[in-house]
Amino acid sequence: MIVVQGLSKRYGQHTAVDAISFKVEEGEIVGFLGPNGAGKTTTMNIITGYISATEGKATVAGYDILENPLEVKRTIGYLPEAPPLYLDMTVREYLGFAAKIKRVGKAQRQGNLDTIMDLVKIADVRGRLIKNLSKGYRQRVGLAQALIGDPPVLILDEPTIGLDPKQIIEIRNLIKELGHERTIILSSHILPEVTEICQRVLIIHRGRIVAEDTIENLSAGLSGRSRLAIRVAGSEKEALKICRSIPSVKSAESAGCREPDTIDLLIEANEDQDIRRPLFREMAEHDLPILMMRSVDYSLEDIFIQLTTDEKGVS
Amino acid sequence: MLAVFTRELSAFFKSITGFIFMGIFLLITGIFFMSDNLIPQSPNYLSVLGGITFVFLVVVPILTMRMLSEEHHQKTDQLLLTSPLSIGSIVMGKYLAGVAVFLITLIITLLYPLQLSLVGSVSVSEIAGGYIGIFLLGCAFIAIGLFVSSLTENQVVAAVVTFGLLLLLWILDFLQQGLPGDRFSGIVFAILIVVAVAIFLYFTIRNVFIAAAATIVGGGFIAVLSVVRPASFDGLIVRVLKWFSLLARYRDFTGGLLKLSSVVYYLSFTAVFLFLTVRSLDARRWK
Repeated sequence: MIVVQGLSKRYGQHTAVDAISFKVEEGEIVGFLGPNGAGKTTTMNIITGYISATEGKATVAGYDILENPLEVKRTIGYLPEAPPLYLDMTVREYLGFAAKIKRVGKAQRQGNLDTIMDLVKIADVRGRLIKNLSKGYRQRVGLAQALIGDPPVLILDEPTIGLDPKQIIEIRNLIKELGHERTIILSSHILPEVTEICQRVLIIHRGRIVAEDTIENLSAGLSGRSRLAIRVAGSEKEALKICRSIPSVKSAESAGCREPDTIDLLIEANEDQDIRRPLFREMAEHDLPILMMRSVDYSLEDIFIQLTTDEKGVS
Repeated sequence: MLAVFTRELSAFFKSITGFIFMGIFLLITGIFFMSDNLIPQSPNYLSVLGGITFVFLVVVPILTMRMLSEEHHQKTDQLLLTSPLSIGSIVMGKYLAGVAVFLITLIITLLYPLQLSLVGSVSVSEIAGGYIGIFLLGCAFIAIGLFVSSLTENQVVAAVVTFGLLLLLWILDFLQQGLPGDRFSGIVFAILIVVAVAIFLYFTIRNVFIAAAATIVGGGFIAVLSVVRPASFDGLIVRVLKWFSLLARYRDFTGGLLKLSSVVYYLSFTAVFLFLTVRSLDARRWK
C-alpha cells in the first residue's frame, strides 16, 4: 500500500531523514518509534505531501506523491503532530469544512460526520468553539478530521498525546478497530503503545531506520537468551560465587538488597539454556533459600535504548 | 475552492480584521465625502474616489496580513495542503474572499453618490468608471498583500511589508520627476532589470543554467540595442516607472475613461501576484 524508497530530506547541512526505505502492506498497522527529532514527523509529512523529499520516491496505493499528489492525498487521512484546527470555528463547522475540502458528497456528509463524532466521542462538544476545548478534545477533533471521507490509509503522528489515561485506552482501542480494514502508520515515543497497537515497528534514529521487524522478532533477536531475577536469603558474596560456578550461567550481578538479610541477583544464562533447576539445586545445597524467582523479558524499551544508543541494528 | 472561500469569508468576520477593514474604510471615505461634497455642497464625487486610493495603503494590509501567514503559523496549512485541493484553488479561494469583503465595502459606499444624485446632478458614467477603476486597483493591491502574506508566518511583518510595497507604488509617481533621464543611466537600469530577472528565475526554479542563459540573452540584447538604437535608452527609467504605475492608470478611470489596456494591465498585475503566491506556497515544501 505504501512504498518508500531511498527517501531523504535535508535542511541545509542538517539531514532530517537519511535514505529511508520501507513498505507497508494493506491492512497493516505499523509503528514509527524513535526519540524526538529522529525524523518520524518529517517522514510522515513527506508521505502526506505536506513537504517534498530532497531525494527518493514514495508511492501510496500505487500513486507517486510527486506525480499524482491529489490522488495520494485523497487516499490518506492525516493527523499531524499539532492538530490543524481553526480555533475560531465550532467542532461541527470545522469537520464540515474538512469534509468539503476532502470532497465528501453532500448526501453522505452529515451521516459520515455523525458516525465519526460518535466514534471519537466528541458529539457532546459539536457546537463549541475549538479554542474553548481542552487539549484532549482538540486531539480527538484532529483525529476525527483524519477519519473524514473514510480514507483507506491513516497516518497518525502521536495520536494519543495530551489525552488522559482513560482516553488513551479508548483511542488505542479505536485505532486497533480501525486497523481491521485500513492501513495505518502511527508514530509514538510511548513504547507500550506501539507494543499494544502495532503489528510491526520501524525504529527510527537520526533519520535512519535502525530496526524493522515484528515486535516478537525484535525481542527474540535481541535476547535469544533468558534473564532471571532472584532473591536469595544470604550474603551477596556467597550467592554470587555459587551462581558463577554454574556452567550455563553467562553472567551474574547483584541488583541490591530490597529485604533485610536477602540479596537480589540478576542472572543471564547462555543461549537456549534453562538454568532454573541447577540454580535451585546449588542454592539448596549451600542452604541459601530462594525466596523469589522470575524471568525478565527484554522489553521494547531495552531494544529501543540499545538501538538508539549504540546505533547497531539487531540481526 | 468554494469551501476555502466560504471559510475565509466567515473568518474575516469572526476575527476582527473584516470589521476593522470595513470600519476604517467607511470612516475615512465618509470623512472625504463630508469634506468634499456635503460641506462645500459640490456634486463632484470623483475627488472622493481619488482619495480612496490613499485609504487603500492603510486598509489593504489589514485585510491581507493574516490570510496565509496565520495558516502557516497555526499549522492549519497542513490540513489544506494535505487535502485533495490544488494550491491554486486554495490561493483563489482566499483571494476571492478578500475581494468579496472589499466588494461589499465598496457597495456600501455607493450610498454616497446615490445621496448626491437625489439633490444634484451626477455623471453616472464617470462614477461607474471610477468604481471600476477602484475595484481593479483594490484587486491588484489585495493580490500583492496575499503574496506578502505567503512569505512570512508573522502577521505584523506581512502587514508592514505590504504597506511598504503599496507606499512604494504610490510614490513611484512622484519619484519619476527626480530621476535621471540620460542614456547611460537608462542602460544601467536595463542591466539591473536583467540581473533582477535572472536572480528571480534562479530562486523560483533553482536552475543555474536557465538563469545564466537569461542573463546572457538579456545582456546581449542590451548590448546590441545600445549600438543599433542608442536613443531607445533615453529616459528609460521614467518610461518604465510610468508604465508600472498603478495609480497613473487609475486616473484614466476617474476621468471617465475606460481603457481596455488599463483593465488588462490591472488584471495581469493581479494574475502575476496570484501566480507568485502559488509558487511561494509550493516552494515552501522544498525548503
